[in-house]
Amino acid sequence: MKMRRVVAILFGATVLVSGLGSLAPPSYGQDASTNPRSFPDSKMVIGLEGIKNHTTGTLSAENGSLVFTKGKKKVEVPASSITEVLTGKDTERTIGGTVGTMTMFAPYGGGRFLSLFRTKIDTLSIEYVDKSGGIHGAIFTLGQGNSWSAKGALLAQGAKTSVPLEKEIEEQAKPKGKKQ
Amino acid sequence: MKRIGYSSALLTLALMCLAWGSPAPAQDKPAAPAKLQASSIQILMVQSDEVKLPIEFQLALYENVIDQVQKTNKFQHVYRDGDTTAASASDLVTLHSNVYGFKHGSEEARQVTTVAGATMIKVHVKVTDKAGKELISQDVTGKVRFIGGNLRATLDFGKKVAQLLVTNSQ
Repeated sequence: MKMRRVVAILFGATVLVSGLGSLAPPSYGQDASTNPRSFPDSKMVIGLEGIKNHTTGTLSAENGSLVFTKGKKKVEVPASSITEVLTGKDTERTIGGTVGTMTMFAPYGGGRFLSLFRTKIDTLSIEYVDKSGGIHGAIFTLGQGNSWSAKGALLAQGAKTSVPLEKEIEEQAKPKGKKQ
Repeated sequence: MKRIGYSSALLTLALMCLAWGSPAPAQDKPAAPAKLQASSIQILMVQSDEVKLPIEFQLALYENVIDQVQKTNKFQHVYRDGDTTAASASDLVTLHSNVYGFKHGSEEARQVTTVAGATMIKVHVKVTDKAGKELISQDVTGKVRFIGGNLRATLDFGKKVAQLLVTNSQ
């Protein structure tokens, strides 16, 4: 009898905690529930030396560096050399890549119809300086809602920016007239 | 015999007409633009004084130009903006890019309608030598009309700039 009561209390507590969790405001960086400074399934679009463009991997901010990992390949950019970090929002086809391109030739406008299904993504653009002073630019895409926490993590590691995170969140929260 | 005489007279007349209508000698022509002879190039960060250009486009333009110029193998060294080692290069030319027109299209509109939603970036490109003398000055437009994301316009721009450098170098 006592055991049943304990189980019931524990069950109730679990339900309550999980319910409260869902009511909590979304923190920026939902994907990073395990590690708030690691962002799996990020795509390096262009600019990071040593990694092929359009590579999907894990972006993280650790030990004072931005780290992009794809399998055994790991590229590190010291956060102190990052002179600009800016975020943005974009969309991409849900069915992308080569398959996505192939569908564009589907009959009866099938490809066009599939183009309407789009996934919202965040962009993270960084500007950094190499050892000889050369300026580099790199662009990443992350899951929706992750760019702000990625920027926050990079700033915490020592990166610099011309637009504070709070201001950027405020600006992006403003409704836009035209759909991109 | 008479016919041959007529023919030769006509031929002479035709030749005279051709000579009369032929273009002026070479010295009257405007001087052809000087060909690039440099072994090194420094590519400066893309500027956008006149239009508001999103940072991802600015960085992608810069990176794509560097990528495409390196692929041409026309230059032994391709230096980035701010690279201090570029100062030691003897025959260095500098590439300046200034965006004066930008139309942010929509990939969705492009794929659905085919005719709408093009992204277009108009850039004035200038190549100068160490003394600051202009060697090339031209407008280049990067665009994406159908396949690819908006940033593909920056790749198109990079390819065109690389082509421009190749056609203007010896």
